Amino acid sequence: MPEMTMRTLAEIPAGSTVTVSHLDSHPDTCNRLREIGFCENAEIRCVSNKSSQLICEVCNTRVGLNYSTANAIIVLPVQG
Amino acid sequence: MTSNEIPTHTLRTIALIGNPNCGKTTLFNTLTGLRHKVGNYPGVTVEKKEGTIRVGASDVTLLDLPGTYSLSANSPDEQIVSDVLFGRIAGTPVPDLIIFVADATNLERNLYLLSQIVDLSVPVVVALNMIDLVAASGLEIDTAMLEQEFGVAFIPMIANNGTGVDRLLSSLSAAVPQAAGLRRWPLPEPVQREHKELVSLLVSNERLTEPAAFHEAQLLLSASEVPTLPWRELTEETRSHLRQDHENLDRIGIKRHSVFVESRYRWIRSVYKKSVIHTAERKRQTLSDSIDAVLTHRVWGFVVFFALMAVMFQTIFTWANYPMELIGSGFEMLAGLASQIIPPGDLQSLVANGIIGGVGAVVTFLPQILFLFLFLGLLEDTGYMARAAFIMDRLMSTVGLHGKSFIPLLSSFACAIPGIMATRTIENPRDRLVTILVAPLMSCSARLPVFALLIASFVPDITVFGFLSLPAIVLISMYLLGLGSALLTARLLKSTLLKGPTPPFIMELPTYRMPSLRNTIIHMWERSVLFLKNAGTIILGVSIILWFLATYPKMESGSPSERLAHSYVGQAGQFIEPVLRPLGFDWKIGIGIISSVLQREVFVGTLGTIYNIENADEENSTLREQMLRDVNPATGAPTFTLLTAICIMVYYVLAMQCLSTVAVVRRETNGWKWPAFQFIYMTLLAYAGTFLTYRIGTWIIS
Repeated sequence: MPEMTMRTLAEIPAGSTVTVSHLDSHPDTCNRLREIGFCENAEIRCVSNKSSQLICEVCNTRVGLNYSTANAIIVLPVQG
Repeated sequence: MTSNEIPTHTLRTIALIGNPNCGKTTLFNTLTGLRHKVGNYPGVTVEKKEGTIRVGASDVTLLDLPGTYSLSANSPDEQIVSDVLFGRIAGTPVPDLIIFVADATNLERNLYLLSQIVDLSVPVVVALNMIDLVAASGLEIDTAMLEQEFGVAFIPMIANNGTGVDRLLSSLSAAVPQAAGLRRWPLPEPVQREHKELVSLLVSNERLTEPAAFHEAQLLLSASEVPTLPWRELTEETRSHLRQDHENLDRIGIKRHSVFVESRYRWIRSVYKKSVIHTAERKRQTLSDSIDAVLTHRVWGFVVFFALMAVMFQTIFTWANYPMELIGSGFEMLAGLASQIIPPGDLQSLVANGIIGGVGAVVTFLPQILFLFLFLGLLEDTGYMARAAFIMDRLMSTVGLHGKSFIPLLSSFACAIPGIMATRTIENPRDRLVTILVAPLMSCSARLPVFALLIASFVPDITVFGFLSLPAIVLISMYLLGLGSALLTARLLKSTLLKGPTPPFIMELPTYRMPSLRNTIIHMWERSVLFLKNAGTIILGVSIILWFLATYPKMESGSPSERLAHSYVGQAGQFIEPVLRPLGFDWKIGIGIISSVLQREVFVGTLGTIYNIENADEENSTLREQMLRDVNPATGAPTFTLLTAICIMVYYVLAMQCLSTVAVVRRETNGWKWPAFQFIYMTLLAYAGTFLTYRIGTWIIS
């Protein structure tokens, strides 16, 4: 996988769909993210991204995150 | 009934478990109606709620457990769920059966917790809630496939209107436990081997049951280092075995932190793909998207929030007036009736002035409190509360907290006690403590009678900006003063005593829904019962004691005011008057403040009792009229002015006048240190704030 296509969720514009590559934070934060649906390979649709906050949809649920949390989620563009 | 079925007579306790926002509390209300112990919290479900339901021919206890995403507890709130399931709470039996409530529109994430629950080898029935919204989301669910994969019954239902409840109840007696250790989600082979060995060791060495060992072994293997079980030490043999397991798995490159969650999700995703069919392409822009674009907008979001708050307080003040006048005149009639029936003397004075005057003064405010709970309930039920927390995260992060702390604070507008209990959803202990310490600064419903009496009496009813009344603006200002002080205090605490980084913010924003009328009415009913119980016990008791203290020792001659000044209450009030004079308060207000240390609304009852006794010779007049007429006998100046009224309100916004809150803080922080700190800092803050208000007010007037 080319390194350059990896970005953090905070960098994803509204309307894009990505998949989770891996999580990069404290193990407790990572586990909480996984349990709420941000598990490796999960598909995420970014609904809005502004003012250091974003709303995205994961497992058909809408979730609000701040940038410091979104920066822990490393994502890849959806294949195909 | 087959040999595997549990006869209903052995069913004693059923637990309701599910993710947050899955409709669990709605189902609980539908199943139990009013047959449950007060769970009067409009915010998130935070306490163990218990009710009774009829299953077959027997009464069964139904437990409503807090919403959780998984059994590996991240917050004290989630800890309760695993503690109940593993029988670690004294007095709460391990449930004989679990009703798992799943949001059908959001199944994939809900199935994660379900798979953990199924691993426990307890009989499970799944209530597949909100099934009516599934088709609208462009989905179709194959329940037979889910039943086959999970080995438990899935009952489609709509908890809001009771559809499917009968089927759910009849399926309870047919639920069977899954065989212990029947794990349906595959693990990588080396992990599976280590996990199996550790389970056997935990069963033999640590005397855990097999399901508990199965769950704990996953937590122990994913932990960064060899931990102790949360409730006891591990034996040395288990610890060294676990150390070896960690080394073995690390050596072959297994990501221990995530392997269990990932494996479980991988299996769930395959089941989900088989059983949930997308019948229609998802709309690019849903209704929720459009609503969210406005409600979470960085400018419009705040405009809508403050507009909603303004409408809420304006409505509380205007709509509630009619029923309040009705209740007020009802109590006046009752007092008149008591005076006619009981011959003049002490007994007549006790009943008419002490009891009916004191209790009546407080009960009059029931409609306003009900309106407050109606609004907070609607905000929660529609899904707006989570959006408010989301937009407030920006504001909260400036004081070092995150948006999650905002829901307990907003709930504290109703009452600090559920607000403080709602802090159990906050994962970080330091942030939780800061939120607990500032929550009572939010103006609770007990302050409303104090504000309402003073505003109605002393703030002129004029219209500002064409639609807002001045009384409503003053009321909003008091709420904002509470909010502002809470945020400033939080900032101060987070940068001194409880220093720490701002934690990550992740918050589920539930789909917008029509609120359930039944749920809202149950909330309001529970609130009324609690409020009236209070009025009938604590306020009744304080009214009787106050009547006695304000009537004795008796003075044979003298005006009613002189007689009151001569009484025990008068003497005590005059004793503390020098401390209160810098705040512009006289001894009667002092008595009100002292007697309401127990509970804020007692202040109104106290004034009701004092003025009724003082003016017993006059014809019936309302407390408001009596306060307006009251003058200081020495100076001839009115006792209550607009400035005094504002000073009293500022004092009540900032002071900790509620012993029940002190008791809850002690329980939640496990000791007296923090409640003592909170009581002292709030009292000092109230004294300083009121002193400043009085000085500035006097300066403006002069």
